[in-house]
Amino acid sequence: MSTVQDSTEQEVRRIGAELADAFPSAGHSPMRALDSRAMELAARDRELKAALFRFVDVVPACRSLDDLARHLTGFLEEVPETPPSLAAAMRIAHTRPGRAALGAAAAGGVKHMAHRFIVGESPAAALEVLRGLWKRGVASTVDLLGEATVTEAEADNYARRCTEALEEIAREAARWPERPVLERDSAGRLPRANVSVKVSALTPLLRPDAPERGRDDAACRLRPLLRRARELDAHIHIDMESLDSREAVLELVLGLLREDEFREGPSAGLVLQAYLRDSPEQLTTILEWARSCPRTPPVQIRLVKGAYWDHELVEARQHGWPTPVFEVKADCDRNFEALTRRLVHARELVRVAIGSHNLRSVAHAIAVSRQAGGSDQDLELQVLRGLGDELQDALAASGLRVRTYCPVGDLVAGMAYLVRRLLENTSNDSFLHEQATGTPLEELLAAP
Amino acid sequence: MTDLPEFSNEPILELRRASVRAGLADALAAVDETLPLEVPAMIGGEVTPGSASFESSDPGEPSRVVARAARATEDDARAAVAIASRAAPGWAAIGAEARAQALLGAAEWLRARRLELAALEVRECAKPWPEADGDVCEAIDFLEYYARAAVALEAGRTLLQVPGERNELRYVPRGVVAVISPWNFPLAIPCGMTAAALATGNAVVLKPAEQSPACALRLVQALRAGGVPPEAISLLPGFGEVGAALVHDPGVHTIAFTGSLPVGLEIVRAAAEVAPGQRHLKRVVAELGGKNCVIVASDADLDEAVPAIVSSAFVYAGQKCSAAARVLVDEAIADALIERVAGAVRVLVVGQASSLGTDVPPVIEEAAAERVNGYAEMAERDGRIVARGGEAADGGLPEAGWFCPPIVAADLAGDSPVLREEVFGPLLTIERVRDVDAALEVLDGLPFALTGGLFARDPAVIRKVRERTPVGNLYVNRGITGAMVGRQPFGGNRLSGTGTKAGGPDYLLHFVEPRAVTENTMRHGLVV
Repeated sequence: MSTVQDSTEQEVRRIGAELADAFPSAGHSPMRALDSRAMELAARDRELKAALFRFVDVVPACRSLDDLARHLTGFLEEVPETPPSLAAAMRIAHTRPGRAALGAAAAGGVKHMAHRFIVGESPAAALEVLRGLWKRGVASTVDLLGEATVTEAEADNYARRCTEALEEIAREAARWPERPVLERDSAGRLPRANVSVKVSALTPLLRPDAPERGRDDAACRLRPLLRRARELDAHIHIDMESLDSREAVLELVLGLLREDEFREGPSAGLVLQAYLRDSPEQLTTILEWARSCPRTPPVQIRLVKGAYWDHELVEARQHGWPTPVFEVKADCDRNFEALTRRLVHARELVRVAIGSHNLRSVAHAIAVSRQAGGSDQDLELQVLRGLGDELQDALAASGLRVRTYCPVGDLVAGMAYLVRRLLENTSNDSFLHEQATGTPLEELLAAP
Repeated sequence: MTDLPEFSNEPILELRRASVRAGLADALAAVDETLPLEVPAMIGGEVTPGSASFESSDPGEPSRVVARAARATEDDARAAVAIASRAAPGWAAIGAEARAQALLGAAEWLRARRLELAALEVRECAKPWPEADGDVCEAIDFLEYYARAAVALEAGRTLLQVPGERNELRYVPRGVVAVISPWNFPLAIPCGMTAAALATGNAVVLKPAEQSPACALRLVQALRAGGVPPEAISLLPGFGEVGAALVHDPGVHTIAFTGSLPVGLEIVRAAAEVAPGQRHLKRVVAELGGKNCVIVASDADLDEAVPAIVSSAFVYAGQKCSAAARVLVDEAIADALIERVAGAVRVLVVGQASSLGTDVPPVIEEAAAERVNGYAEMAERDGRIVARGGEAADGGLPEAGWFCPPIVAADLAGDSPVLREEVFGPLLTIERVRDVDAALEVLDGLPFALTGGLFARDPAVIRKVRERTPVGNLYVNRGITGAMVGRQPFGGNRLSGTGTKAGGPDYLLHFVEPRAVTENTMRHGLVV
């Protein structure tokens, strides 16, 4: 190991340990502890986990408490060994009043869990949470949950909701107190209002085989949104979804931001998914683009692991295609760190955000950023609401800029998102799962 | 042979990658340069242009001639059957492993020409690229799957053995198989029926649809290149009279047919006649029509149901026997479903099969377009049209070619023919039902039972439909087309077919005769 790598590793361990110390003490909220136990139970038993997820997934479509209870017991009946607590629930469901009680309890439970991940039913309802975060030194980006877009009307409606969210958040954010860490980096000012947008919701025409159709249709709705963001001084971040739409999304974003009218705003960003084997080439494309058309403010790249791992794996297996994602966690983690390094060294071209709950990945990003001679203000860290809350607090307490991804929407809309998050949270090799089950800090911070 | 890798499906092109898409235009241009293809009649070793000919053309541009084909005659049919009868014993005698090698060779020949063959389907049948490529892959799958299955079948089945006797059950070929195939899967369907017959040691005379002779020519070339003797696979391009001659020929043992119900019934009737000199009962393997229903329960996830229904109904302009024709939706969510399906269909693009941006290609020929338009008028009369697609983008359908807009109709009168008859085109109807039980009652009354769909999440509802559905292929919470060899054995019940399952473990049994042999192994009290 070279001395540079050596000193990086030392730094990673030191920063990681500091952050771990800054974590709020566990179990301070009894409700939070309850969730963790439910998650833990689900993580141990695959069948039970599947049953619970299928129930969570169907809750919005249930028409009555009776209907809810029938679905819950229907799923649980398929679990070979039902835990005693759930067996009792199933016995209750033999009578109609019993089903009503069970349905109400289950709906309440799901709603409670949903609220851990979803900050409000509407942007207006979320404002209080956003303000609270800001006051505690945490920036936010709002993601509007919704049903899949299959029609023009649905795409128009999503674009309208995004515009309204931008307006409401910008209006509210103007009243927030100053938080210099969150509002400025070496490239200049950072907007307070920040909205993440999904291209799949902006058009019904995404076709994996014909990306230009979705790209062009989405552009018609994204262009006015970018204009409005520029007027409001807000940031628009274009999320990345499954590989099926990646080409359309990337071409859309790079194409629009190259247009003359957007060369000087709004602040905008895109996403790089480290679980994709070809993500290094994607980064090369993005950096070459950034070099060829400089813009102020620079585009922000959010590096994430990627949230569609199971989907990508299943789709590739069903079609007999090479797996586009890393199948071994350590390979993915190593790629994440390599991309982090490249991004940190490309800061004259792009703003860098690292979206991760993996303490090692986060500490590594901070370490290489400092080693590269960068100021902490030129590294943004991002977490998901409900999953990265402790890390968020630790980062804020350490004086770093952290932004929390805050989904907004009703339960119906949120459920698909929620199920994905739950899957991630209870997957056996997830960092959060390892952390929750007491893996020693030394191991958590070891190089992948 | 024993070291053959386990069967797996030929991977379709990953067209979501630009690098993969980049090769398509060149492949199409290369094929265009060879058009029109000359398709001869191939009767054993004899290759003849025939005394008369006919043409196949591009449904998206009918002035483009894709193939000029010999028009085989009834005499040609008799000659081909006679040659096949003489060749069959020899082809049977070489054994399943040698025959499997020939089929695998054919698969390799197709594999080496995947883009070229898909391009030919784009032109001859207006099959859009992803579908055309899928068809080529399915043809390869049938060859690979049946080759392996025939080797396994040759070993026979285990019987009860008692002292003093040796019992064995073997499967032997039936003789000559007439394959009569449709144009909508112009390689895969003729290939599947032919490969099953050949793998089990039968000789084949193939009469492909008159709309797709060029694709059939490629199939026969592949088989012969792989090592199937010319006498064991003859090609008779032509029309109904050739098919009828084959069906009536006393030298034919098995008729494998995929097509319409009326023709299928004619074949079944004709096959029941025993001609003078005929010493066997003809067997019919038939895959006929469908009127496929998708049930949408009140707890369905519409985010998934809507795209799956739309693609099941309109991919390849609905010209698949498995395509969705009727949606039976729980009245509690019917308005939402109708609105979303209608909106999704309004943005569908009607266009050329060669464009990857096309959602709905033209139908196969003028008569098909007239039939579809007729049903569309009927739907308008008997109910209401809730969406007509393909007109949003530039205000009209392409000029030349047999283009039909995708149509969704709802609330049709219960006695409308549109609800009963197979349209085989881009027309979908949506009906409200009280609940899943009411939907099952509708299914009970249907003559067809090919594919069916269910969108529901309650395990009890899924169980109930699984047990009560009459269909041969039920798809739960997904689209209802795209059966894969080895994964979704395909075929219908009731008037949809003879219940045979293409691409499944039992299919080959329809091409063989079981023979049990019992030998006395006791001689003067000694068991030898």
